[in-house]
Amino acid sequence: MDKELKYIGKRIDRPDAKDKVLGKTKYTGDMSRHGMLYGKLVISKKAHAKVRIDTTKAMAIEGVKAVFTYEDVPKKPYNSNQWYSGSVAEEDELILHETAKHVGDRIALVLGETMEAVEKGRQALIIEYDELPAVIGIEAAKKQSTIVAGETNLCFKKELTCGDVKSGFEKADFIIEDTGSTQKIHHAAIENHVCMAEVDTFGNLIIWSPCQVVFQVQHVTAQALDISYDKIRVVKSYIGGSFGGKGMPILEPICGFAALKTGRPVKIIMDRKDSIAATRTRNASIQRIKTGITKEGKIVAREIEIDFDGGAYLTNSSAIAVAAGKKAFRTYDIESQKYVGSTYYTHTTPGGACRGYGSPQVHAISEININNAAKKIGMDPVDFRIVNAVDPREYNEGAVDQIGMPAIGNARIKDCLIAGKEEFGWKERMESIKDKNTHRFAYGLGVAASAHGNGYHGSFPDYTNVTIQIMPDSRVLVKIGIHDLGCGTVLTMQQIAAEVLDISPDFINVPQADTHLSPYDSAGTQASRVTFVCGGAVKEAAELLKERMIKSYCDAFGCTQDQVWLKDGMIGSQSTEAMNYGSLATLCEDKYETTLKADLEYKSKANPSVYSAVFIEVKVDRYLGMVEIQDILVVQDAGQVINRTLAEGQVQGGAQMSLGMAICEEIIYDKKGNLKTDNFSKYHVINTPSMPLVKTLFIEKGEPLGPFGAKSIGELAAVAPAPALMNAINNPLGTNLTDYPATPERIIEALN
Amino acid sequence: MIINAVINGEVVQKECNPNKRLVDFLREDMEVLSVKEGCGEGECGSCTVLFDKEAVTSCTVLTGQINGREVTTVEGLDKKGQLESIVKSFVQAGAVQCGYCTPGMVISTMALLYKNPNPTEEEIKRALEGNLCRCTGYNKIVEAVKNMKE
Repeated sequence: MDKELKYIGKRIDRPDAKDKVLGKTKYTGDMSRHGMLYGKLVISKKAHAKVRIDTTKAMAIEGVKAVFTYEDVPKKPYNSNQWYSGSVAEEDELILHETAKHVGDRIALVLGETMEAVEKGRQALIIEYDELPAVIGIEAAKKQSTIVAGETNLCFKKELTCGDVKSGFEKADFIIEDTGSTQKIHHAAIENHVCMAEVDTFGNLIIWSPCQVVFQVQHVTAQALDISYDKIRVVKSYIGGSFGGKGMPILEPICGFAALKTGRPVKIIMDRKDSIAATRTRNASIQRIKTGITKEGKIVAREIEIDFDGGAYLTNSSAIAVAAGKKAFRTYDIESQKYVGSTYYTHTTPGGACRGYGSPQVHAISEININNAAKKIGMDPVDFRIVNAVDPREYNEGAVDQIGMPAIGNARIKDCLIAGKEEFGWKERMESIKDKNTHRFAYGLGVAASAHGNGYHGSFPDYTNVTIQIMPDSRVLVKIGIHDLGCGTVLTMQQIAAEVLDISPDFINVPQADTHLSPYDSAGTQASRVTFVCGGAVKEAAELLKERMIKSYCDAFGCTQDQVWLKDGMIGSQSTEAMNYGSLATLCEDKYETTLKADLEYKSKANPSVYSAVFIEVKVDRYLGMVEIQDILVVQDAGQVINRTLAEGQVQGGAQMSLGMAICEEIIYDKKGNLKTDNFSKYHVINTPSMPLVKTLFIEKGEPLGPFGAKSIGELAAVAPAPALMNAINNPLGTNLTDYPATPERIIEALN
Repeated sequence: MIINAVINGEVVQKECNPNKRLVDFLREDMEVLSVKEGCGEGECGSCTVLFDKEAVTSCTVLTGQINGREVTTVEGLDKKGQLESIVKSFVQAGAVQCGYCTPGMVISTMALLYKNPNPTEEEIKRALEGNLCRCTGYNKIVEAVKNMKE
């Protein structure tokens, strides 16, 4: 298949990379408008407190233009997680709060002519906190002695089941139980949150935001400020990383409010502490896993119970519990299984989308438990997974999985495990790994498998609109509401359109989302939907355009469709003169009074799984508890890689985040809810010397409804490395570390 | 005070607050926007600049300290035509994703290569240890630097 493709699967350079190296790319923080005011939030230092703010002294400072508090802002609650008008959930946030419910809660905004004035203004505020009891962590929330909101701290509960779990466990020869926990994670995009807004001459509120869903920013801002959708124009600006962290609007509603209120452009900038405390986090979890297996190694029943820390506002509390649960039913063929996900309010930073959305949590402990199950019967953990992994399915429209979700599709987890085992030399390493051990250093091997999805189909509206037009100079304009988060989404779309139209990707322009210029998109750049759904849309729209081009050419030159060829931006036939695409566009306008374009509303018809298997060799220092990753191989079921360099980059970057989850990253609060890890000196992400070379291998056996067979890569990449590393650490030490992260302290404690 | 310094090859004499952080001076007073702030405490490296020929985080340097010294960012190196090879290498290797950390990475790389034109992989990794990147997992950045010296 690959040989016939001209642009798909190739290593094509990113068109935006050169300017980024040269520092010419303007991010939101680099943009300014005439007469612009600077702004910075004031965030709560207390986890739960009624706040009183005296602004008098601040307002007297030269250059301070305004200080807004709860008293000044609209009292219209909103939920920042709502990405479209139909996503119903309780609305419990205001743009500024009177009672702070977590360290980092928004309590004021200071605006000034310069950042210096803003800082002086912030310093001059007199803030009094009347402290209230705080609920920190899931265990505290479950005690229900203090209620964060409503009548109970349990804000969501969902059960998913298939088969008959009770009789399933009766068939088991062994039952393996594990408990464990995962931590709150900071997204750590190097660009902190930032936003700029102004009111244009037509009365539209323009918001420039490095966001993931312009239509979500529009919706949430309309809700929060009670203004018309059509008067809010959201422009996606260059983004310095997101990983889900910039998914929910945080600064946009208040930035819009400030611009409307002052009549001047406003730019609000966060610092790192704000980004950690006042945005979103990966939801922490506490888990109980119970797996029943036969002595031959077949999993017959499983129960997974996960409690999530939802944080102080509802945000994604329901979505995270459901999204995690669904993934439990996709990797292994388990006849009877029950998942119970519960989310609790706490007085900590709210949860939100974070690369993998529930998948990193649901695989974190269950994949350690799978290893323990294999160990119980003395079976190799890779072979155990191969025996239990699902098989690929033929595509049937409307087919569902065990819990009624869209079918798993051409599921290639077995291929990942088999190919990875071979490539990594798993068997040989297993036989000899112990030979490397010294008194101080223990060498171990770990494996983990994981599943993730491809969009919202089956749960929420998943469609997008595309207009693709040939310009008079033969260039191609693709209008679609996409947001490049740094992953190379624009280039991915260029390559897909280029392949269909047989024209260099350089000739294709795919501007990023703008609510007033891009056709409507139902779900944004999230949920691993972009390559599969938006890419599918671009492919189909390009095919429609190609049909129109051929038909127009035949009409104009009197040839038949089978005689027409398209190549490198030229269209022609055996018997007629070739012309470039632009000339055909002009001809269509002149002769037929029509635009050479295609419009399409594309609905996703499937939501197959993607899979990965990760193999790790690790060296653990028994004296100091330090972990050194010696080797890592990631095998991903990608359907068809669109751009090989981008795909590898996704897998390597995802691994950095996932490995960090396993050994060093953690947002820590003390008992009173004070944030202990408020900058990179205390919140540790893996840096260059600690990062192993991540070897990649892609299984490319095509997904029927994906563009050229492609499916998602980037989110899945952040799932399995963590449990694979935990398994690799536990392997030589004989420990059963199930609390993330496995810090040196925890490793030493487990050894003792 | 009046600062006398060479910034991106140009002699600059400018009235400014010596206690202002260099990152703010460069961005606000000099409009040198390649210098990004990511953490404000010298941990992430996205504001790295060349201080003479040493890589320093400009959020931990005060403007008064640059008096009589030379400060160079990617804008200055580009002007002198010194970035052709690194551009090619970073672009081809896929070392750039969101790009926010990239100018800082470039500066740390150049500082390394000034001192050590033929670094080993370990030396490259060590030179970039103060520059955080959340997109790439560093692999392709290290590869890009390795390709440059070859």
